[in-house]
Amino acid sequence: MSAGIARGRLAEERKAWRKNHPHGFVAKPETVPDGTVNLMVWHCSIPGKTGTDWEGGCYPVTIHFSEDYPSKPPKCKFPQGFFHPNVYPSGTVCLSILNEDSGWRPAITVKQILVGIQDLLDQPNPADPAQTEGYHLFIQDAIEYKKRVKLQAKQYPPLV
Amino acid sequence: MDESNEELEPLFDYRRVQPFNTPFNVVCLDDDTPDSSPVISKKRKMIDSTAEKKKDKNEAVQKIDCEEKEEDWLPPSPNISAHTSNLLEDSTIKEIRLKKKELASFAQSAKDELRDVEESVKRDLSASLHSLQDSVTEMPSKPSTDRVKMVISIQDKDGTKQFRVYADDKFERLFKSFADKVKLELQNLVFCFDGDKINPNATPSSLGMEDDDIIEVHEKPSC
Repeated sequence: MSAGIARGRLAEERKAWRKNHPHGFVAKPETVPDGTVNLMVWHCSIPGKTGTDWEGGCYPVTIHFSEDYPSKPPKCKFPQGFFHPNVYPSGTVCLSILNEDSGWRPAITVKQILVGIQDLLDQPNPADPAQTEGYHLFIQDAIEYKKRVKLQAKQYPPLV
Repeated sequence: MDESNEELEPLFDYRRVQPFNTPFNVVCLDDDTPDSSPVISKKRKMIDSTAEKKKDKNEAVQKIDCEEKEEDWLPPSPNISAHTSNLLEDSTIKEIRLKKKELASFAQSAKDELRDVEESVKRDLSASLHSLQDSVTEMPSKPSTDRVKMVISIQDKDGTKQFRVYADDKFERLFKSFADKVKLELQNLVFCFDGDKINPNATPSSLGMEDDDIIEVHEKPSC
């Protein structure tokens, strides 16, 4: 039952995305090897904002939706070891709107999630660190932090 | 079934008042009511014949008469009561046969219908394929009536522009007209759908695009 709700909502999300989404973003459900589409996992790409140190990178994010979506938020993951104060070593994004107990609302769209993560990139939340390296550099060594961010942007060049 | 039989019944049928099991019966039918047989409907004949197949020839006529009587309005006379169970069975078998025939004819008509539909679809398909081929070869002259049009938006950093294109038209043309519109070199533009670069030889339909889908355009070498 709930699976039907999740899939129905995701089909709508996908439809809406195809018609309208912010420039440079990619979000599409995964296609499994046999050619069918798995709406429960989306492969996305978030461009770094222009004018920030994140500019020039297109950062891959995988969104995992559960059968309880949209009652519960999806899990968003960067690649393992992604450099950012609010990203766990596993790559999982720590963001209030993705937290069931704080900011998540079922009405939040995939677009809002991805834009929210884009905002988080250049506006880390030092009150809620998720990894030591990124957090320490961010609060202790701004120059080194900047360097690392720019380096990482080069690691994730645009897909095209 | 029964209704139609009744409608076509002669107003007065001597067979009904004749005793059945007497050897006269057959003779009476032939002599006294010579006009009764033409009046009997085709259907009735059909029923009779199917029933007859099962029975000995002598018995057949009697049985059918009895059966009619039962179905119609006369109470069963005592001398045929011995037959009743047999007769009932007989009538059910007849009914079943008729049903079977009916169903068979239904099935046949359904089959015909299906075949018709299939054929028409095939015709349409080949016609549309033809038109598709035609349109590829002689695009400008071909009238647009049978080609699917859709609206595709091209999105750049500043916003989106809508373009009306044919679903089977190569992107090449769309890209050119976009480049002309924004006064940029086509070579410096990269068009993407769903994060993948679009081959200029592809068509909206070949990429499974729908009305109002967005294509993103990027200026090399930015993201």
